[in-house]
This record gives sequence, C-alpha cells and structure tokens, in this order.
Amino acid sequence: MRIFSGQQAFVLQRLSALVLLAFTAAAALRLGFGAPVSLEQWQAWAAQPAAAALLLLLAAALLVHAWVGTRDVVLDYVHPLLLRLSILSLVGVALALLGAWTAFVLVTHAL
Amino acid sequence: MRFRIYRFDPEKDRKPYFADYELEPHPSDRKVLDALTRLKEQDDSIAYRRSCREGVCGSDAMNINGRNMLACITPLEGLREPVTLAPLPGFPVIRDLVVDMTQFFAHYHATQPWLQNGEPPPERERLQSPAEREKLDGLYECILCACCSGFCPSYWWNPDKFLGPAALLQAERFVADSRDRAGAERLEALDDVYKLYRCRTIMNCTEVCPKGLSPARAIERIKLALLRRSA
Repeated sequence: MRIFSGQQAFVLQRLSALVLLAFTAAAALRLGFGAPVSLEQWQAWAAQPAAAALLLLLAAALLVHAWVGTRDVVLDYVHPLLLRLSILSLVGVALALLGAWTAFVLVTHAL
Repeated sequence: MRFRIYRFDPEKDRKPYFADYELEPHPSDRKVLDALTRLKEQDDSIAYRRSCREGVCGSDAMNINGRNMLACITPLEGLREPVTLAPLPGFPVIRDLVVDMTQFFAHYHATQPWLQNGEPPPERERLQSPAEREKLDGLYECILCACCSGFCPSYWWNPDKFLGPAALLQAERFVADSRDRAGAERLEALDDVYKLYRCRTIMNCTEVCPKGLSPARAIERIKLALLRRSA
C-alpha cells in the first residue's frame, strides 16, 4: 500500500467508520434501554483500564475519520498549494492536540 | 411547449444567457431532439451536437431540466415547462449546447482502453468462459456520452486530475477482462489519490447513466481489486 496513493486514506476512513458505527450502536442501546447512570458512575466506568482503552480507540477512530474527511474536502476545494498546506497543517495540529489531550485525560484518570 | 435554452457564442456574447422559445410540436415529435431540430428551423444559430438519433452515439448529451440526459431518447411528454436545456455541467462550453470534450477523452485514453495481451494469438480467437464474459456486462455498453462525468461533483472539482466515472468504468472494463494481461499495470496506474480516490461514491453517475450502467459500482470494484492486491 503506497502512503500517498489514496488507498491508505480510503481504508482508514472505512475502518474508523466501522469503529464509530459500533460505538454509536452500543451507546444508543445503552442510553436507550439501560438504567440511568450518574456522572460519578460514568467516571468510575471510564476509569477502568478496559473502558479507557475502548474510549481511546473511539477517540482515535474519530480523529482519523475527521482527518481523512477534512483532507478530502481540502483536496477537492482548496487548490492553491500554500493555502492547502496551511489549512491541512492547522487541522492536523488541532486534531493531534485534541488527541493528546483526550489520551492524557483518559490515561491519568484510569491510572 | 416553452423552452429555455442556454446560449453562448464566444465571438458575440460577453457572457452566457438563457433564451426563451415557443414551439408547437409536430404530432410526430416525440423526443427532445425532435423539438431541438424544429427550434433550429426557427433559429438556425442554436448549436448542439447530434448524430445517430437513437441513443447509441452519445453526441447529444445535455442537461435537460437539471438532469444530464440524451436529447434523442428523452421523451417530450411529461417534461416540466419551460424545458430548460443547458450544456453538460462542468465542461467548458464551445458554443450553446456544445461542450469541449478534450479533457474527457484525454482521461479516457489515459486508461489505455484496448486489450493488451502479448501472448501469441491463437488460431481463431482468445476464448472466454461464459462466467468470464459475464463480468463485462454493464461495462462494455458505455457509449461515452459523458452524462455521468458531467453530473459528478468530484469531476467538477478536479476535472484535470480525477479521471471521472466514464473513464473509470472503461478502465474496469479492461481490468475485468480475462483476456487482458495488463491488469497489474492498469491497477498500478489507477492507484492515485486524484485519478481514482476523488470518487466519493456520490452515485450521481449511476443515477443519470442513460444506458442504465453503474460507474459507481465499477469504481468500487477497482478499489476492491487494489485492496486485494495490497493485502
């Protein structure tokens, strides 16, 4: 698989979509049919290493999906190279910071 | 019937405009092309392409009431009035309903749409099993009218880089052909962020194809073939 062929983004977009779909279905079932849970109970659940790992996977899938989607929109609409690089850099840095912050919160909470 | 026709003559007009026409169709006028032929009798400056008049050559592809169709097989009956005729969206206009297909055919040629097989030819013909032949159904029937590419937003955004649904359908026609031996090279050439992966499976191509083909499915097959090659 060539990194810049477009196939990598195509595969990542679909894999991350599957993760997001599975999580959305699970969340809908839990919130729709499960007993109401307090904030403290959610925090306790998220503090378990397995739950934190799941949430990290969800965050990673969300960020990857957002990156590929934004990149596609930029490749389609933004043709001047400098503007394109600027937007992609800004989005990339923003998503990376968001991911790092999410990971920090989840890991410190779970430890 | 009332018609609104996109008019633009680069030698006279500074910008395009729509001109209104009234026409009493002859009882034998069944299709949009019949009406266009009569309108040209009223105003012989209207420019459009047509040839076979029976949906085979693909010359008279145009945008009819917001949808790309072949004028020769689109019935007049049931069309909302005024019937608006415009050139294929996204294509450079040469004059009125005539568009420049240079880029479109350049993409088509880039897919090398001919059988490539360096093996010594058999005495009669290269045989295919019925199952192998069946794989070409839905691919070989394309008449290159450009209704699909002219209705594809991805093609509008990057017409110089994205091959477009018509060329990709033709590419799959040869990738899927059991007699062709250049499948790996063809896939290698298609494995490109612009040429192939600008397709977002919007499926306008499949929606408007006047021959009932599905370029979107052909494109997905190419992507799956590339995936299998990478696995």
